[in-house]
Amino acid sequence: MHIIEILQQWTENNAFFIWLRESPSIWAFPTVYFLHTIGLIFTAGASLVIDARLLGAGKKLPVAPLAGYFRAIWIGFWLTAISGAVMVGSDLETKLTNRLFPIKMVLVAIAVALMIVLRRRMGASEEWRAVPLSTRMLAAASLVCWLSAVAAGRFMAYF
Amino acid sequence: MQAWWLVPFCKTLHYFGIAFLVGVVGLVDLRIFGVAKGLPLRPLQRLMPWAVVSFLLAAVSGYALLRINPSTALGPPVNLAFAAKMLCLALIGLNDVLYLATGLKRQVDGVGAGEHASASAKIVAGVSMLLWVGVVFWSRMLTFLAGAI
Repeated sequence: MHIIEILQQWTENNAFFIWLRESPSIWAFPTVYFLHTIGLIFTAGASLVIDARLLGAGKKLPVAPLAGYFRAIWIGFWLTAISGAVMVGSDLETKLTNRLFPIKMVLVAIAVALMIVLRRRMGASEEWRAVPLSTRMLAAASLVCWLSAVAAGRFMAYF
Repeated sequence: MQAWWLVPFCKTLHYFGIAFLVGVVGLVDLRIFGVAKGLPLRPLQRLMPWAVVSFLLAAVSGYALLRINPSTALGPPVNLAFAAKMLCLALIGLNDVLYLATGLKRQVDGVGAGEHASASAKIVAGVSMLLWVGVVFWSRMLTFLAGAI
């Protein structure tokens, strides 16, 4: 059987997903949606601020200690990813046939990969006199990916 | 008839504004709590004007969304989620005014790399974080509670 069909059957019969789809309570679907929103706002927002710093905003702010935020950013990321997976699971059909959904997933994957690379580079930033051009380009790419991912998420409901 | 993309476009701008705003505010609040302690607070707080610009973007796009579809947020019947969101925003404003007026911001500016912020700064940062989570919570409940109460 196709993997999607197996998933579909599982989410259709799973008590948690049935409750999520059918409960009118604000502690059901609306709360999952809230956790996704708060997680993505912090993950994308904190990453955008780090990108802005690497692109030249707030030049007096030392770069290396900014890496101290990455643990909080990862917590935000997993909160977004898990609540997002639950949202997809509760509505497999609509999400998987949405043209913007795979684009959004690719954008998020690239954005996360870029943050991992940027974090590694920021660790060696004490030797920088200015942010190297290649790092600035990666930060610009990260900024574009995060903003596009957020836009794709907003437009998904209208496609 | 309005263009189909108008609402998602305004929502996208709204999210851009909020993400950058909460990004800046969140990093300052977390630093006051001791996360990324190697950062001096003065240059971090210098990013706040960016948060103000982001807030204006969120406010203008939010007002546009309100004008496009007033009944979702305003009712009738009264949407309690929208009222709660506005209350949280007003309390954030008050919190920020007190932070500036009491001289606490200037005191926090003096917190250098590796140093602890004062307990009163931590209270203000904690209130700020809770209220921002509240803003997002009530925003999310807004569409679900529209017409429900």
